[in-house]
Formats: sequence, C-alpha cells, structure tokens
Amino acid sequence: MTNHWIDLKNADVILAMGSNPASNHPISMKWIMRAREKGAKLICVDPRFTQTAAKADLYAPLRSGTDIAFLGGMINYILEKDLYFKDYVVNYTNASFLVNPDYKGPADLDGLFSGYNAEKRNYDKKTWSFQLDENGIALKDPTLQNPNCVFQLLKKHYSRYNVDKVVDITGTPKDKLLAVYELFGSTGKPDRAGTECYAMGWTQHTVGTQNIRTMTIIQQLLGNMGIAGGGINAMRGEANVQGSTDYGLLFHILPGYNPTPNASLVDLATYNEKNTPKTKEPRSVNWWSNRPKYIASYLKAVYGTAATKENDFGYSWLPKIDVGQNASWLMIFDKMLKGDFEGFFAWGQNPACSGANSNKTRQAMTKLKWLVNVNLFDNETGSFWRGPGMNPKEIQTEVFMLPCCSSMEKQGSIANSGRWAQWRYKAVEPIGQSMPDAEIINELFFKVKELYKKEGGAYPDPIVNLAWEYGEKDAAGKVKHVDVHAIAKEINGYWLEDVYDNKVSPPKLIGKKGDLVTSFPSLQADGTTSCGNWIYCNSYILKDGKEVNMMARRGKDDPTGLGLYAGWAWAWPVNRRIIYNRASVDLQGQPLDPKRPLVKWDAGKKAWIGDVPDGPAPPMGTDGKFPFIMKPDGVASIFGPGLAEGPFPEHYEALECPVEANAMSKQRVNPTIKIFGDKMDAFASCDARYPFVGTTYRVSEHWQTGCMTRHCSWLLEMQPQNFVEMSLELAKDLKVGNGETVIVSSARGEVKAVAVVSERFKPFKIASSTVHQVGLPWHFGWQFPEDGSGYDSANLLTPNVGDANTMIPESKAFMVNVRKA
Amino acid sequence: MAEIVRKSSVDEILNHWILAGSCILLMITGFAFLFHMEAVASVFGGFNTMKEVHNWGGVVFTLSMLYSMRHYLKDAFEYDADDAQWFKVAGGYLSHKVKVPPMGKYNPGQKLYYLAVVGAGIAIALSGFAIWFMKDNGTIMLLAHLVHNVAFCIFVLAVPVHIYLGTLANPGTFKLMVSGTLPLEEAKRRYPKWMKAAGKM
Amino acid sequence: MANETKNRKGMMVTPELCIGCRACQVACKSWNQLPGTKTTNNGTYQNPPDLNSTAFNLIRYNEVPGQENPVRWLFVSRRCMHCEEAGCMTICPTGAIYRTADGAVAVNRDKCIGCKLCTNACPFDVPRYDAENKMTKCHQCSDRTAAGMLPACVKTCPTGALKYGDRDEMIKTAKSDGFKTIYGEQDLSGLGTVYAFKDEPKLYGMKENPTIPGSVVFWHTYLKPLSFIGLGGVVAAAAIHYLAIGPHKEKEEV
Ligand code: HEM
Ligand code: SF4
Ligand code: SF4
Ligand code: SF4
Ligand code: SF4
Repeated sequence: MTNHWIDLKNADVILAMGSNPASNHPISMKWIMRAREKGAKLICVDPRFTQTAAKADLYAPLRSGTDIAFLGGMINYILEKDLYFKDYVVNYTNASFLVNPDYKGPADLDGLFSGYNAEKRNYDKKTWSFQLDENGIALKDPTLQNPNCVFQLLKKHYSRYNVDKVVDITGTPKDKLLAVYELFGSTGKPDRAGTECYAMGWTQHTVGTQNIRTMTIIQQLLGNMGIAGGGINAMRGEANVQGSTDYGLLFHILPGYNPTPNASLVDLATYNEKNTPKTKEPRSVNWWSNRPKYIASYLKAVYGTAATKENDFGYSWLPKIDVGQNASWLMIFDKMLKGDFEGFFAWGQNPACSGANSNKTRQAMTKLKWLVNVNLFDNETGSFWRGPGMNPKEIQTEVFMLPCCSSMEKQGSIANSGRWAQWRYKAVEPIGQSMPDAEIINELFFKVKELYKKEGGAYPDPIVNLAWEYGEKDAAGKVKHVDVHAIAKEINGYWLEDVYDNKVSPPKLIGKKGDLVTSFPSLQADGTTSCGNWIYCNSYILKDGKEVNMMARRGKDDPTGLGLYAGWAWAWPVNRRIIYNRASVDLQGQPLDPKRPLVKWDAGKKAWIGDVPDGPAPPMGTDGKFPFIMKPDGVASIFGPGLAEGPFPEHYEALECPVEANAMSKQRVNPTIKIFGDKMDAFASCDARYPFVGTTYRVSEHWQTGCMTRHCSWLLEMQPQNFVEMSLELAKDLKVGNGETVIVSSARGEVKAVAVVSERFKPFKIASSTVHQVGLPWHFGWQFPEDGSGYDSANLLTPNVGDANTMIPESKAFMVNVRKA
Repeated sequence: MAEIVRKSSVDEILNHWILAGSCILLMITGFAFLFHMEAVASVFGGFNTMKEVHNWGGVVFTLSMLYSMRHYLKDAFEYDADDAQWFKVAGGYLSHKVKVPPMGKYNPGQKLYYLAVVGAGIAIALSGFAIWFMKDNGTIMLLAHLVHNVAFCIFVLAVPVHIYLGTLANPGTFKLMVSGTLPLEEAKRRYPKWMKAAGKM
Repeated sequence: MANETKNRKGMMVTPELCIGCRACQVACKSWNQLPGTKTTNNGTYQNPPDLNSTAFNLIRYNEVPGQENPVRWLFVSRRCMHCEEAGCMTICPTGAIYRTADGAVAVNRDKCIGCKLCTNACPFDVPRYDAENKMTKCHQCSDRTAAGMLPACVKTCPTGALKYGDRDEMIKTAKSDGFKTIYGEQDLSGLGTVYAFKDEPKLYGMKENPTIPGSVVFWHTYLKPLSFIGLGGVVAAAAIHYLAIGPHKEKEEV
C-alpha cells in the first residue's frame, strides 16, 4: 500500500476493483465503512456481486480479465471530460516529457509497441525513451501540447478505448460504466481524494502488472498519489506478506528491493554500476543512487567480519541467477517436473493446492528425492504421495514433516500492508515438538555448516562465512536459541567503526562503533556500517543511550486526525505513513487539500510539519526537490517503460478466453507471456468443451489453501465445502439445482463443488454474444476434512501461465465447463 | 361386639391412597414449578430431581387413576331422584337443619368429584405426557401446556374441598378411608340405600 | 412490565454496516467454548443453517431483488432478542431463565430441567438444547459485561454493525444517524437486541409484530393467578364453612 489501512477512512471515493475487501480484508472494510459514514462513496467492480458489492454505493460487473479495457476507458473519459488535475499532472508526473519520435504504440502497430521481437516474445525498449537536452535532461512541454509529449501519446493511446468498445469487451452495462467513470473521475479536484484497493483480482492475470499500472496512470491524472485518502493500495491478506516481500521473498530481489545479482555482474562495482539509476536532473533526489551503501551494509550484515573491502564484502558469495533467468514459482515446478531438483523445502506453503494447475505441481513432486514440509499441519503437499491418482508404491520421494509453531506461539515483528512493522509477543507456548521457524532454521544452519566444514563440498564459503550472532552459543559454537531481538537489531544495522564527518573541522563523530544506526541516510558504502534491510533501518534505535524497539511502540496519539498514529509501531521508510507525501502540496509546500493536510512546509522554520516527509528538501517551487524521490526523474511515470509489455497498458485477452478476437487489436493475448508447451500445460481458448469463464477467489472463513483454517472446526462449519457460484440462467441451462454437487472441469483437471446458484452472478453481454462466468474458492483439498467432504482444490483447474513481469499465474480468468456430478 | 361392615376393600383403599398421594405430590411439585419455589424444589434435591419426581409421580398417578375406575366409575355414572334432592339441599353442608335424602354408597357430590378427577386427570395426564415426550412439536407443546394448567386449576379447586370434606367436615370419614370398615349401625345411618341393597336393612 | 430495568443495556445491530465477515460467529464460539459442528454447503453462505446449541448467533444472508442491481445481499445477525417481555422466561417452570442486572435474559444451567417449554414461548425461535437437554442461547455475554468487558461478538465486529451499550442512548444515536426504523424499540415492551434500519425490517427477514403465543399469555395472566387464588379461596371457604356451619353432626340427623 502506498497509504495504509486507516487512511482509507480519509477517502471521498473508494474503488474496490480486483479485490473484495468485505470478505478478504474485513479490517480494511472497517475503515471503508467509516469513510462511507462520513459520506464517501464505495464503488465495487467485480464479475460477481460480492459482499463488498453488497455494501457499495455503486456496483459494476465486468468479465474477468478485462480490467485494462475498463480502466483504459476511464482514462479516456477523464481526458475527454477534462477531469484531470492539471497542475499535478504537469508538475509531478512525466506527462510533459517528450518521447522518442520513433516510439510507436498499439494505435499504429495493431496492438503492439515498437521494438517487438516475435521470436523471443519480447521487446527491444530502445524507442520507449525520452528526448534529452544537451545536459542529458528530458525535454518537456509544460503546455502538454507537443504531439510527442507523454500526455498527447496517452490521449492517442486511450482514445481507442471509447465507451462502446469498452462495453463490448467488459460486458459492463453502459450506464454503470459511465457512473463509475463519473464518480471516480470526480476525485480529480484538489479537495477530493480517491483511492483504489486491489488484491489478487488484479495481479493474477497475464496482464496483472499492467492492470495496476493502468490505475496508477488514473491516480496520477487525478492527483491522487501521495495524498491522504488516495493512493494505490495492494491489500495484503496475510498479516506479514508485506514483510516477506520486503525481505526478498521473490527470486529477483534481495531484502530491501535490491535486485538479485546475476552471473554477468561479476563484482560489486559492476553490480552497482548496472543497478544504480542515474539522472542528470539536478532536482531529482533519485534515492536509488544510494544503492551501493545499502548493498555494502547488507553484505556486512550477512557475512560480518568475513566481509572485507578486499573481498567485495563477500559479494561473490551471494547466490546469482543466470542472465535473463526467471526463477519464479511456475518455473520451479516446471523444472521439478523435468527432474531438475533433488529436494524441496515446502516452507509454510501448500503447493499441492496453491499452485496453479495443481495436477502439474503434484506430479512434479513425485520427481523429488526428498521433500521437507514445514507447516503447522500435515497437508496435501506433505501427503501428496497418497493423494488422488497417486500410487504410493511408485513414488520414491522421502517426505519429512517439521512442525513449526504458529504466530501466536512466538515473538517477533510482522509488517502489515500499510508497511507498519509491529512487534508481537508470544501468547502461548508452542504445542508438542513444534518450533518457531527461526529455531528450525538455526538447527538446519548449524547442521549444514558442520557438514560443510567436515566434508568440504562444492562451495562451502557462502555458508561457512555467514555471520550468525543470534544468541548465546554452546561449547561447539552453536547458537542455542535464537534471540529475535538480535535479528531485529541486525536488520536495523550497526556502526561497525567510529565514523567521522570529515567535511567539518575538527571532524565530528557521527557514529560510534557498536551503536545502532539511527536511519538509512547514515549507511555507508565502505563497510563501516551494517544493515540487514535498509528500508527497516530506524526500526530499532539508540535513544538516550538505550536501545529502543520502535516496532513495539504503542502510542495512540493522532494529532493530525488523519489516522497516521505516528507513535504506534513503526512504518518503513523512517516511519513515513504515506509515501510520496510531498506530492500532496503545491509548489510552495502548502497542502493542495486544506481539509486533509498531510505535510506542510513551514517557510519560517524551514521545515516540514505533519507526516515524515519524503526527504527534508524544501518544496519544489522554492529551490527544493521533486516529490517522487524513488524515481530517477523525481516525477511519477505516466509513461512507464519499465514493464515487459509496453509503456502504456494495453488490453489483451486472457490466455484462455471466451472470445475469438481481441476487440482492440489483432493481438489477442499478451505478446510477452511465456507459454509452457508440455501436455501438462494444456490450455483451451474458445473451445466448445470449456465454454464458461472461470475465476477463483477467497472467502472470509478460510485462508489460502485452508491448511490452517480447515482444521479449525469453527471456520469449517461456516464454509465446509468447495463450491461454485453461478447465475440462475446458467444453472437453468445446465439443469443444476442450488446446493447440488457438480463437477467443474478445465483443460487441466476437474474438481467437485456444490453449486451455489444466485442472482449474484449474471451472464455478460459481450458484443453480440452471452458469456457465462462461474467462480470457485480455492480453500479446499482432499486431505482434510478426512472424509473428503470438502472436495479438492480449485487450483486443479487454473492455468500455469504467468504475468509477463512477475509470472504470477492467471488464476482469475480461465475457461471451464460445469456438469452434474 | 357390634357388627362391622366393610365399605372399601383393601385393594380400594390402597388404590385411593396411592392416587391421593401421587396427586398431592404432583400438586406440590406442580405448584413449585409454577411459582419457581426454590425451597420446595430443594426438598426434592433441586428442580432437576423434582422434575423426575413429578414425571414419575405422574406415571403412578395415571396408573392408579385408571385402576380406580374399576372401583368407582360405574357408581359415578348412576344417579336417582334422591341424588337430585341431595343437590337441592346442597348435601346438607350449608345448614344442619335441612333434611338430607337417604344416600347409597356414594353421594352425588362424591360421584361428580370423581368424574372431575377422572376428566381432569386424563387431561392432565395426557398433556403431561405430551409435555414430557413431544417436546419437538410446538403446537402440541403449547396446547398441552395450556390443558395441563387448566386441569391443574380444576385439581386445585377440587382436591382441597375433597380433603376438607373427607376430614374435618365429616368426622370419621378419614378413619373409614384408612380401615375400610365401619360399624353396621353407622353404615345404616349414613348409607341406608347401600345397606338396603346389601340386604342389611 | 414495560421497561422494568433501569439503565437497560442492550445490543444494537446495524445490518447496513454488516459486511458478513462472521467474525461474530467465531468470537461467540471462542468465548463460550462451543465446538464447531459438521455441516454441508446448502447453496448458501449461511452456515450453520440456523441457531443451534453451539451457535448462539449467526449471520443470515438474505438475497432480495434490488433496484440499482439485480440483487441486494443483506447480512443480518440473528440471536436472542433479550425481550423485556420474554416468553421464554414467562413459561419456564423452574425460573432457570432470569434477567441480569443489565437487562439481559440468561439461563441458569443448573436449574434448567430441559422441558423445552421455552422454545415454544419464544416469539423468535431462539432457545436450543445441548446434549444434556439444557437450554442454550446468547446470554449477551453476561459473564463478560459483568466484568466490564464488551460482549465477545461486539468486541470483534470490525465495522460497528454490532454495538453494546445503554439501550436508550444507542437508539437515540441510531435515529439521529438517519435510521428511521428501530426494530424492537417497542415490541414486547422493548427488545434488548434492537436493529437499526433504513428500509423495512421485513426486507431483512425480521418478524413483524412479534408476540408471545396467546395460550402462554392467557395462562400467565389468568390461569397462573387462578390456581393460586383458587387454592387460597378454596382453603379459605373450607375454613369459613368449618367455623360458620361446622362439621356434620351425626346426632342432629337422628
Ligand atoms: C399425570 C401425569 C403427569 C405428567 C406426565 C406431568 C408432566 C408434567 C410435565 C412434563 C411438566 C413440565 C415440567 C416438568 O417436566 O416436570 C409438568 C408441569 C406441571 N405439572 Fe404436571 N404432570 C402430570 C400430572 C400433574 C398433576 C396431577 C398435577 C397437579 C394436579 C400437575 C401439575 C403440574 C403443574 C402445576 C406444572 C407446572 C406447569 C408450568 O409451570 O407450566 N401435573 N407436568
Ligand atoms: S428472544 Fe426468545 S429466548 Fe430470547 S429473551 Fe426473547 S423470548 Fe427469550
Ligand atoms: S428447558 Fe430449561 S430453560 Fe427452558 S423452560 Fe424448561 S427449564 Fe426453563
Ligand atoms: S453476546 Fe456473547 S453470547 Fe451473545 S452472541 Fe455475542 S458472543 Fe455470543
Ligand atoms: S462481525 Fe460484524 S460485520 Fe462481521 S458479520 Fe458479524 S456483525 Fe457483520
């Protein structure tokens, strides 16, 4: 989230699209309902009339997989009706930037951008660039009239998304579509705030990243970024999923969103050279120019004293991916199926039910020599060898179960969706032999290290050199028990030497050896500081000589009334509650919306008041800096060349879709997606055998594959069985009664489900035809309840095709059939 | 020694007292339910055991009531001119001056009382069993509850009168109801028609 | 009988704020240590289908035709109403059902004899019976409120769809917030669980004009006193007779 949960209460219009907060993020709904009580309007756009729709002031259905068409139409509407916030667009976005004249878009190239390589299914992005002046600074036209400026190109691109075209694609009733455009478009005024809440409904598409990009363009046009009650809010369902992303959960990033090194970046200097963005724009902060400091401090935290200037702080010990390698989930299981892995740690996950095309995942695991299942309960993954269709006699995989304890049984921090790191305490002792994950890792680490020491092995250095000062050690040097505070402090970082500011004389001591670093501007690139994750620097600090865990704070003051609660826990970065908050002021630093002043420049004191500002520099209109400090240009990107598909989002159909042709262009599906080609990767588009659009979602009562929640009888009682929701019309066609068990099938598998027939699903009118959609939750699995009454996972149906940037599978739009069981 | 006649057999006496005892027990426990009398309930060991007492007391009551029909039912349905006259003088209870017609084994007051006990008894028994065993049928439950309580009112009115008449109001009756016998002379005086029918007069 | 309890506490349910998350159902089970039961999906989210001995509250998912959209989906918490004139309490033969100091209607398990009369006298079909045939239902968390805590379901409700507090005050606030209809404000002399609506309560499946069954009212107002007064009257009459007229005197008759 650019903002945070409580901030939702500050919005005037809330668009819930790609999410179902009432079911899946009830606490967010608490704040949405607060906003509504004050007169805010809630818009819900969803294929199905959800619990959120039930609370919405305006509901518009759309066919799964057509969000870009829907939002593209909104951009067109905003531009046509002049609803955008001109000053904001000119000052704080790259709308005025002049683009390379060789750039061509889908309007010219029938669905493609310039630079497409059909063979490699990717783009040469050379033309997706800006025209530069002699100083290397982008040329601009603040009047936004130049036909090559971003604004005009945007206009041209989205003029194709007229209302009738959009209605034909999305199946949204025209009056609803226009009502949504008008209502959300009304937040382009400085004193109106509009926010967007999305979740997996946007990400799990082959165009997932671009779905979100489209919305960021809308939010930039309307001036809704960086303000209270605005922003783009990824609703993270699990309490700590933000934390796991911050700590490098994904293959392509290290903790703190530093890129994972690849084989071509042979040393630290090359890594820094390639990964540190540069700008010639003097007024851009270009925060990522600090990357070398963060990486050096990270390496010092990881390898401790073994990391020296001479050995590049141990850079060579970091695992590297191959150039261009994609090591995401779908790839891992594809390789596993091909027999490329010996072993697999399924840690806190249940791929046998969570993986798109679960049949493939389950088959892949049969190729393993060993599998370690670390979980609260045994699940369909640990027991895959005795699952449906498996012959245990033929499966050689040895499975180990390591019971870990739940979050209530241990102490530590979690980072919520609003980037708040909150310290939690242990409520109860772990049950049985279960251990906190950190203890399990500790045991594993020392065992592996011992073996490396004893037996050598291919490359022991990365392991034997790891710094592991997490608690009291026994005689053999093994940490007996992990002290989570030691980890938290290592993450914050230490001064490793006495460091002086040599610019003043006499040199002033800025950091004393052994002290905790106060915040990331102090981090050094020369190995004199350590920091496990730079964005968390400042979370555990030294105050009046005492170490203070900022995450454990429980201050309840809210002087601004905006719900920032700056004294409650701690938010990254440096306790900033709303990022890019300097975009909420005019060029003089005065709030654009006097009703919701987030930060304000006090010209007398030469200081900002309110939220922690994005950098202390004075406002842009004085001699200050641009507000979007993480962007090399200092402004937000309406034209965004970073993604695989193109600088402007374009509508493409899902890989499996009910229409023969994309109404926008000849290019039916995203031209840059990777399509797996084996027989286990089957897909069927416009195939009479699978005539209905399918989608998956979650219910309030279960969490993900249900591994934790199906074992809780209170929850299972409320949602005991896999179900499939469908319209009365479809049920009538299929002669299926409400509550009857049916079989839902796709090109990849089938699953039993109870038919839940209601008016909440309606057939879509797509151009001249009728398209039916059904939806299933994906919380169930064959292993529990033990009598199989819950049926199996809906992911047996979903396709293993991923978004071109993130490889997140397209489980929100695929094709199925439904028949009576 | 004066001649003694037997008015009630041992069987009859036992039956009467079991019926009476269970009835009193049921009334007391019933009352305790009706007015949530903790003190009474605690005598029985709390409401739960009192419920058992009441329910099983009801079984005893029902059986003994049915059994009693064999003794009294026939008589209870036979009325003659003297009985009518008995009513006119209100059984002599309102004045000792009036002339009470000669009576058989039972006077019509007793006979009607018996019919009331049987009628209300069947009603209270049926409804009682319904409340006990047909808990899941709302209509029956509510009806039974009403009937049980209407019948209870009849008992409440009738039983004390019966007790009064059988004890204080008619000295000697109680003794008779214990022994079952009385001197012939007394029998001739009190139940002339019965004695005549028996050939003793 | 009306408004017997001073400063009556109550529960305010605002279905318009309810998002159907069912945290309330879980919180109740958690606090009251009630087990989950084996259910099946019956073509609706509503589960268990109705209150049972382990479910003191539940969310009803009502689908009704809409104007703006093809359907409206209404979420309504169902639970004991804590009636001021409580049929269950009236009919209970043991006094097991009692009113707490805060005005809630609660059950004393030890006193309950499992006669199941209460379920028939309840206008809302609330009482349920556990394995030992003891009556169970929402007790408005009398054990929590007595200790100054909010009822478990209220505490957990994220949106304020469930509130607990001074009944009159909550009604006043709801009215000033534009909720025209307060269901239960007057019914049965005032329910302890009141609902704030902007539309017709009927739409939300609320029972219109809830009343205690006539036979129970009749019994309570006439029969019950009659059996008491009747007994007294008969005994008194006998006493008067004994004193005024006296017992049968054999001699006179001779
Ligand atoms: C004949 C068999 C009878 C049965 C099976 C029976 C059964 C019941 C039952 C099941 C109840 C409800 C409470 C409980 O379960 O104990 C009840 C209540 C009661 N019974 Fe009986 N009963 C019988 C006879 C009587 C008699 C003879 C009387 C008194 C003359 C009586 C008076 C009452 C009263 C006053 C109540 C309380 C009613 C109330 O509070 O609603 N019952 N009886
Ligand atoms: S709703 Fe039913 S159970 Fe609850 S107090 Fe009223 S009558 Fe009693
Ligand atoms: S079942 Fe229990 S609570 Fe209900 S009326 Fe009977 S004794 Fe009272
Ligand atoms: S008030 Fe307490 S007992 Fe009643 S429903 Fe809520 S949690 Fe359950
Ligand atoms: S907890 Fe509150 S919002 Fe959630 S279902 Fe219950 S009453 Fe509704």
